[in-house]
Amino acid sequence: MSVPVDYYVLLSMALFCIGLFGILTRRNALMFLMSVEIMLNAANVNLIAFAFYHGNLTGQVFALFTMALAAAEVAVGLGIILVLYRNFRDVDVTVPSAMRW
Amino acid sequence: MATAFEFAPAIALFPLAAFVIALVFGDYMPKKGAFAGIFATAGSLLLSLWVLATVAGGEPYNEQLYQWAIGDQIGFHFGILLDPLSALMLVIVSLIALLVHIFSLGYMNAEGETGLRRYYAELGLFTFSMLAFVFADNLLMAFMFFELVGLCSYLLIGFWFRTESAPSAAKKAFLVTRFGDYFFLVGVVAIAATFGTLSFAGTESFPTAAEAAIDNGETLFGFDAETWVTITGLLVLGGVIGKSAQFPLHTWLPDAMEGPTTVSALIHAATMVAAGVYLVARMFGFYAQSPTALSIIAFVGGFTALFAATMGVVKDDIKQVLAYSTISQYGYMMLGLGVGGYVAGVFHLMNHAFFKALLFLGAGAVIILMHHEQDMWKMGGLKDKAPVAYYTFLSGALALAGIVPFSGFWSKDEVLFDALIVGLEQPLFLAAYAMGLIGVFFTGFYTFRMVFLTFHGEPRTDAARDPHPIGWSVKVPLIVLGVLALVAGVVNLAPIGKLTGAEITFLEFWLDGEYGAIEGLTYHAYHEAVPFAEGYIGTETVTMLVGAGLSLGLALAGAGLAYSLYNVPEPVPHTEKLGSVRTLLRSNYYQDEYQVWLAEGLTLPLARAADRFDQGVIDGVVNGVSSVSLFGSGWIKRIQTGVVTNYAALLVLGFIALLVVLGLHGGWFA
Amino acid sequence: MMIETLIAVALVGALVTFVAPNKVAGKLAFAISLIPAALSLWMFTAFDGSGNALLDGQLAFESRMEWIQLGEYSISWFVGLDGISLPLVVLTTVLITLAIVSSWTPIDDRQSQFYGLLLFIEANLIGVFAALDFFLWFVFWEAVLIPMYLLIGVWGGPRRKYAAIKFFVYTNVASLVMFVAFISLVFGLGDSVTSFALPEIASAMLEGGPGSFAGIAGSTLAAAVFVAMFLGFAVKVPVVPFHTWLPDAHVEAPTPASVLLAGVLLKMGTYALLRFNFTMFPDQVEAFAIPIAALAVVSVIYGAMLALAQTDLKRIVAYSSVSSMGYVILGLVAYTQFGVGGATFQMVSHGLISGLMFMAVGVIYNATHTRMVTDMSGMADRMPIAVGVLIAGAFGYMGLPLMSGFAAEYFIFFGAFGSEMLEYAPAFTALAMFGIVIVAGYLLFAMQRTLFGPYRLETDYDVGRAPLHDVAPMFVLLALIIALGVAPELIFDMIKDAVDPILALGGGA
Repeated sequence: MSVPVDYYVLLSMALFCIGLFGILTRRNALMFLMSVEIMLNAANVNLIAFAFYHGNLTGQVFALFTMALAAAEVAVGLGIILVLYRNFRDVDVTVPSAMRW
Repeated sequence: MATAFEFAPAIALFPLAAFVIALVFGDYMPKKGAFAGIFATAGSLLLSLWVLATVAGGEPYNEQLYQWAIGDQIGFHFGILLDPLSALMLVIVSLIALLVHIFSLGYMNAEGETGLRRYYAELGLFTFSMLAFVFADNLLMAFMFFELVGLCSYLLIGFWFRTESAPSAAKKAFLVTRFGDYFFLVGVVAIAATFGTLSFAGTESFPTAAEAAIDNGETLFGFDAETWVTITGLLVLGGVIGKSAQFPLHTWLPDAMEGPTTVSALIHAATMVAAGVYLVARMFGFYAQSPTALSIIAFVGGFTALFAATMGVVKDDIKQVLAYSTISQYGYMMLGLGVGGYVAGVFHLMNHAFFKALLFLGAGAVIILMHHEQDMWKMGGLKDKAPVAYYTFLSGALALAGIVPFSGFWSKDEVLFDALIVGLEQPLFLAAYAMGLIGVFFTGFYTFRMVFLTFHGEPRTDAARDPHPIGWSVKVPLIVLGVLALVAGVVNLAPIGKLTGAEITFLEFWLDGEYGAIEGLTYHAYHEAVPFAEGYIGTETVTMLVGAGLSLGLALAGAGLAYSLYNVPEPVPHTEKLGSVRTLLRSNYYQDEYQVWLAEGLTLPLARAADRFDQGVIDGVVNGVSSVSLFGSGWIKRIQTGVVTNYAALLVLGFIALLVVLGLHGGWFA
Repeated sequence: MMIETLIAVALVGALVTFVAPNKVAGKLAFAISLIPAALSLWMFTAFDGSGNALLDGQLAFESRMEWIQLGEYSISWFVGLDGISLPLVVLTTVLITLAIVSSWTPIDDRQSQFYGLLLFIEANLIGVFAALDFFLWFVFWEAVLIPMYLLIGVWGGPRRKYAAIKFFVYTNVASLVMFVAFISLVFGLGDSVTSFALPEIASAMLEGGPGSFAGIAGSTLAAAVFVAMFLGFAVKVPVVPFHTWLPDAHVEAPTPASVLLAGVLLKMGTYALLRFNFTMFPDQVEAFAIPIAALAVVSVIYGAMLALAQTDLKRIVAYSSVSSMGYVILGLVAYTQFGVGGATFQMVSHGLISGLMFMAVGVIYNATHTRMVTDMSGMADRMPIAVGVLIAGAFGYMGLPLMSGFAAEYFIFFGAFGSEMLEYAPAFTALAMFGIVIVAGYLLFAMQRTLFGPYRLETDYDVGRAPLHDVAPMFVLLALIIALGVAPELIFDMIKDAVDPILALGGGA
């Protein structure tokens, strides 16, 4: 007997909301990046849970892809944050607002 | 053997060649291209005389030479029509043009004038246009060269373009005549669309077609045929009134005196102004179909004759007096044509060409003598110092005033006689006749006022005491024209013919086709078509004697009054006694004022209002549309803050909104 | 392959000029532009077509290749010339060559781009007049806008951005309206068309007309499409009240761009009207004849009145173009041989005359650096030859006989007066003809104030005679204007041939 899929979905939802909350409220770019990671992992949990539920491997494969993507994303994201810090002496995401109207 | 007609196109093409030569090479030629013009017009004159002789030999000519534009139902072409009328006019025009060219040697070249190349080129183009207009065989070709004549007069009136007044006068001349030509062009288009032909002569001509339409009682463009002929005839008449400076489009002519005096001579005697009346004579067969049109021609003519003559009385500038006399004299021609006196009108056109060219060239000679002074009050006493100028000018003045036996008497008398006999039956025409008759008195007065002030009395200025000499090139044209002004009347001594029974009305025979003419274009044909009855006081001879006596008496009375007032050593400006009438006359009955007002007081503000409307309303709507979109996007763009957090929030909100919408649509919450 | 050669030479020439050094760009572009000009003149003499391109006519220099299959519709590279389009192609190539020469003096920066764009616009203009497939035509039609936008926006006067954007957006929106209308027409025609070739669409239109589409009945659809397309082209012509982009564009554009704008770009509008509205919709033309004629008359008179109120020489000529194009609309709606033929003739004639006028104004501007009537007088004293040509051009504009303007206007007036399809035709014609008085009024006023009188100039420039290469193109144009005025049959013959099949469809003959 195994854990029903509902619990996984609830866990994933909770993780996603935590990440979303972080994105909407935090101004520190590092916290931002972490929140995005949490959301990505929420999606991973979902993918694996449904893969297990449906009994095929597609979801797991995609979870692997997502992890690779997340790694790449972190690399790029950290790079951006470094540049951000270099230019603004700060990692506050609301400061650089030149890309607007 | 080559006939004259094969060379006929060259009559016009010679001056055209002179135009090109003078324009391109004028600066490198002796006399700046004058000789090109002289040789060309001399060639035209010789060819015209040859044509005249050939026509007199009974061979008229009417050929289409060049297809200009061909349609399925109508083609437009250039052609040459040589009949007694056009052959006569060709000779007159080329003769006057030649004399003007010669005179220019003394008038323009001697003065160290700049721009002579331009002057001679434009003279050549002017002559070309007029000659081509004269031998045009259809109305469209006539219109085209009519317009070119207008262009050339614009260029020549504005010859001294560095002044303020000459360009203004040139513009006015072109614009006023353009206004008339607008009606002319509508008329051309209407006639072409109605009758499918624009030819003057032949079986396929529009007068013939009009006659047939009237006879068949056709309905054309919603009017019965005769009304439509009247309408189209009057439309064409618009151009005539503009070019021949008839009331109310006469205002450009006095201003046109800004051009060189030689140009004035050409414009007044043989080209621009003559073109209008010539056109009426050319298409007389068409006007003869419409009594209404004819009576309007007669009335406009009679009125203009009197109207312009009264204004001539008070002018001080010698050229201004002549300008108003021109308007007045063309009024007589229109009066003659309007009452059906085709021969009389053409006769006066011919005589006027001679004596008016003479008077203008004489005035030019006076201006040379006077070191470019035109005010008659600064002249006086030139009689003894320049006898050639004096006697030839006198010859012209006597002809203009209509004193027997000078040429003007015979033709003006014939015009008035024709008006009188028609007026006796149709009292309406009697008014036109009366206006013409009264005009004779004023003509006699202003003519001799001019002569006495200029040549008689004591010299009133230093310039008049020590006149500039005039050369042969001035004297020769004056003498030629002076003799013509005296003797040209013999071609149609109608009164003497009627008294003695001698057959000496040669011009009438000529125009009647006794020596050859194109069928339908003869005086007889016209006379039959004109529907006016004629009446006499007693017999024809008595009527004629009464008419001639009246007009001669009035002319002599006018001249006598001028003699008593102005032939004194120290004349004074008597016209000032006229008081407010003088002011009215000197202001030309305020005709200029209202026409300038129409242009500058009405049209220009209207144009400015249209511009404001255009910039404000129409362009305002266009700019308004763009402003509204700019304004709207100005608000919407603000949601793009540049803060990533806000974008994320929007994303989330959008996603939730989408979920809710889909949910509502899918019935999740039902 | 002649048309392809023309377009290819211009395109390759544009690229070559683009990368050429600024110093030689002008001469190089001139040399390149001589090739299409000479070729098109040769084509003019070798023209062997007959009839109308859309109505089973024998096309000259035809060439057709399948290009794209779009669902059930095929799009092809389909070009060819008939008696209407050939004169316009020749006008384009000649005017481009002359415009290049006339830019030598005024254009003094980024020459290689400038001349490259001129050649690029030439390629597209030839395409517009030669294309016989709707999509191909539309590509050229839209592509013309880009170089003209840049010519105005980069080399223009002080308000160049405003003028360029206005020009681009206005005409582009109009194209969009027209495009949507035409596509819905094609869908409405349903199975009767399988390609966007204009002859096929025309014959489908004339044989049955559109069926219902998107819930709109066929006859309503045809009428709606006719109106939408008329409006779309009316902006390009321009017809009052869609004309306000024109004076702004002209005033800001550099002289050569003005020459092309007035000389050729406006003719795109009337050409398209003739090709689409007046060929494919004879019934609708009849139904809408009176409003269209009224618009034409308003354009003539109102445009002339606006010209009368201007003090900027370029604005005067720009508004007078509005007036002149009104005559074209009047001629088209008359639907007679001389009316439609005269309208086509007027397209060519006005292209030459307005080109000449803009060049002449440009030459004066080069010398004085002002175009305001109030800033100068007596220019004839300083630049006699240029002013002489300007006067000749002005009289051409006024419709002086023996110049092409008179022939065109006379044909239109005669054709319109006797129109059987247009009610009250004589009244409309007589009203429109009054334009010839107003045009004389404003041109004579402007000439009197700028060219004559004592010499006076408000700006501090030393005015000398214009260089030969400024004046020479104007003499070429003047010669063409006089040649067409004396012998209109030079092109009127082939125009008639192409116009007659159109008239056979509808009211008049």
